[in-house]
Amino acid sequence: MSEQFSRRDFLKLAGVGAATTAILTGCGPASRYVKREPYMQMPEYNYNGQSTYYATTCRECAAGCGLVVRTIQGRAIKTEGNASNPLNLGKTCARGQATLHGLYNPDRVTDPIKRARGNTAYFNVDWDSATQTVADALKNYKPEEIAFLMGTAPDHLFDFVSDLAAATGINAPVRFGALSMFEARATLSKAAENLFGKAGLPFFDIGGAQVVFSFGSNFLETWLSPVSYTRGFVGLREAKTKKRGYLVQFESRMSQTGGKADEWIPLKPGTEALVALAIGRLALESRGGALPRAFADVDPADAAAKSGVSLETLERLAVMFASTASLAIPGGPSLGRSNGLAVAEAVLALNAVPDNFGKPGGVYLSALAPNETEYHRPASTQEMQEFVQKMADGKFKVLFIHGVNPVFELPRSIDFKAALSGVEQVISFATFPDETALEADYVFPDHHGLESWGYQRVATGSAQPVLSGAQPVVSPFYNTRATIDVLLAAAQLAGGEFATAMPFKDEVEFLHSKLVPLMEETGGSFAAVDINTFAAYFQQHGGWWKLAGALEAPDTADVLNHDLNGEEPEFAEGEFFLVPFVSPTLAEAGANKPWLQELPDPTTTVMWSTWVEINPETAHELGVENEDLVKIVSEFGEIEAAVYKYPAIRPDTIAVPFGQGHTAYGRYAENRGANPADLFGSQMNEAGDLTFAGVKVKIEKTGKKLPIPRLESIMGVYGEALGKEHE
Amino acid sequence: MATVSDLKITELKLSEAEGGKWGMVIDQDICTGCQACVAACAMENNIPFVGDEDSGYGRSMHWIRIERFWEGEYPEVKMTPNQPMLCQQCGSATCEPVCPAFATVHSQAEQLNLQVYNRCVGTRYCANNCPYQVRSFNWRDYQRPEPLPNQFNPDVTVRRRGVMEKCTFCIQRIHKAQDKAKSEGREVVDGEFTAACAQACPANAITFGRIDDPESLVSQLSKQAHGVKHLEELGTFPHITYFKGG
Repeated sequence: MSEQFSRRDFLKLAGVGAATTAILTGCGPASRYVKREPYMQMPEYNYNGQSTYYATTCRECAAGCGLVVRTIQGRAIKTEGNASNPLNLGKTCARGQATLHGLYNPDRVTDPIKRARGNTAYFNVDWDSATQTVADALKNYKPEEIAFLMGTAPDHLFDFVSDLAAATGINAPVRFGALSMFEARATLSKAAENLFGKAGLPFFDIGGAQVVFSFGSNFLETWLSPVSYTRGFVGLREAKTKKRGYLVQFESRMSQTGGKADEWIPLKPGTEALVALAIGRLALESRGGALPRAFADVDPADAAAKSGVSLETLERLAVMFASTASLAIPGGPSLGRSNGLAVAEAVLALNAVPDNFGKPGGVYLSALAPNETEYHRPASTQEMQEFVQKMADGKFKVLFIHGVNPVFELPRSIDFKAALSGVEQVISFATFPDETALEADYVFPDHHGLESWGYQRVATGSAQPVLSGAQPVVSPFYNTRATIDVLLAAAQLAGGEFATAMPFKDEVEFLHSKLVPLMEETGGSFAAVDINTFAAYFQQHGGWWKLAGALEAPDTADVLNHDLNGEEPEFAEGEFFLVPFVSPTLAEAGANKPWLQELPDPTTTVMWSTWVEINPETAHELGVENEDLVKIVSEFGEIEAAVYKYPAIRPDTIAVPFGQGHTAYGRYAENRGANPADLFGSQMNEAGDLTFAGVKVKIEKTGKKLPIPRLESIMGVYGEALGKEHE
Repeated sequence: MATVSDLKITELKLSEAEGGKWGMVIDQDICTGCQACVAACAMENNIPFVGDEDSGYGRSMHWIRIERFWEGEYPEVKMTPNQPMLCQQCGSATCEPVCPAFATVHSQAEQLNLQVYNRCVGTRYCANNCPYQVRSFNWRDYQRPEPLPNQFNPDVTVRRRGVMEKCTFCIQRIHKAQDKAKSEGREVVDGEFTAACAQACPANAITFGRIDDPESLVSQLSKQAHGVKHLEELGTFPHITYFKGG
């Protein structure tokens, strides 16, 4: 080497060499098999002091909101909404914010484990023997003896197991979640089928309406897609280009949504269908003309007498409803009664008065997600009951459970825990040590949602078809493994049909196979000609969506020719109507996240506990005060909860939030509060949804006190604890 | 007896206090009380959770809380519009003059009420003197078992027992945006960044920005006639404007 050959020349030459190699092999420098190793081991794409942001999908409920997670040095620091995702447009709910307390929860399942069922003691196994266990379970049983029970998220895993089932003959996976039970998704879908001739989740364009009548629908809390419906509510209220919209809430206990309503109508539980039909009739009468069959049979005076809403009020509301762009929404506890389907049909049919079907401010059928051909709803409680019966009868020898906690979420009267004794082998993929994982023989933990690949179909809430994409924002914190990777490896070990059923090397390859059909479609948020580029965009943007809306206008030719039923439901024996509601801050799986526990309930400001809401007058008659521990007894079970004198509830009704009452699920959830599902019976409505609000209960004093932490002054709502001299 | 020049100084100070730099507008008509802002604030600012017992004693550390009250009795009962309550970043703050340790000081540069954690000796005079009741005190060293601390925001100090804390208007975000703008040789653009609560709010009920910039969204909104400022009559010059609901 000559003296003129400087260091710079050498580097130039080396660069040319590297470039040549790259051209010759067709790969970039990334394909080098060795790379420089820094002294500090840093996760990829991380630099000291710099944040890296990853788009992914929230898994706290099944809505599928897009997230952008700020990470720094391989740690997830903060979640924000993904501003480009059409579903949530950069916004999150409280649960989305607190998902980090799930990721870094001190009580995660850290390694694959084996245990005696119900025993908190366990021992660790390694992933090789875990995979072998799954392989043996697949191999040693007949396909019809193998069942999968899955949660409502994530969709990619559900698709994987569905494909596996189709190829091998094992039972198709069944999905369930307490939220879908409380939302009565089967009832909504069945009502749409009966009225419009097509099953699907109705979508309500609240933002475009002038007057909204909500029959118990808790759309600002946990219902279907709360972030998107909150945006709809803002559209209703904003008054820049139009008159400020008006919300009327019909429900016996004022929910958080009811608290935001301009008018709260405390009707008698179960009379929602009757009131909807009466309003329909009065509204049409106010316009004149012949009455259609749907509203012809109802007697408004009778409806007023039965519901406790005065005829004048019904008439006033009917005129309001008839005179503007109005919208009626069914939902909440009103669907969880024996007449739930009739309520859903009557309220949906009420939309025929303004004839808003398929119009802005009206009722649509939700757009199908990009890789979906028909609406797939989670199992109704009746289908779950049948599933549990099969378990108890020994029809399933192997049960795989992922993403759902049925021992906690199903009512005690459908005894999932007891039915497990009919199953020879129970394998859970739980991330957290929940009640169901405790009753499993093995727990082979999946990654947390923020450590996972995947996608979630947006079932409702966005006019555009959206497939929200998920990618790991941090590398797995513990010795966990993606369930698809476990199943793929086990299928290879099991051999036979399993070995050829899913020809993928890993989870990512499977995901890519599901994205390939989207590359053919036009009008998407991005396009690419090869799958690696497409998948890279999919990760970068947090999903793929159509740019144009695809809400479907329902076929309403026949809506008003139905016989609609205004009959009142049957209630199980008892003194008070029980209104169970999903805790707006905890929902079905939030109880193990400490900051969610410390968020005040939006209506009562209670934290960390279960309470029972009783009208102050009723409490006075019963002789109970705030924080008195009472026993609530139904035909089917009993729970204990502290009294909260709630000023906005009917005197004949009490309400208990769902979300607490865990016996496992980590230190923040365990042995805290009570689970109202213990009070539910197992009666279903006509669509197969549980009549969770169809029981009546008795209240017994226990003589004990239980302090309930709350943010508001403990002087009471009316300052009663200050004593008489302050009155 | 006040001289003419003294009066001028007072007037000057008042106009400065009234003006301010950063401000917020909260629309109570669309706030749904969902607590997303509370959770977002806790996650952004490393706020500890205190557990059931201490929250029962009213020691929970919410820098922002949603107030709601009741009007009337059943069946004519009404929930008042949800009212997010946080530090109003007063131009003339009552918490400031009472601190013996100069831990509650006014930032000249940002026109914010600062809380200097390493000066705070925990007298709690400031919390006593805050008419908005928005200061929270670390009564204990609250436990965050491993691996929860992995989530800590490295831009925000972690406080320990005996220290008062409160909303900072996400000053770490302000500084980050200013640094970025400075390195790019420009001014911070309105809407370029926002506070954690405003960013999360699903209803977009919170607007944050420069109130000394007449073009910014927040100053346009704060000039609307139906805006009110809480306890303005105390002369605190709060920098948050509320739109009452209904």
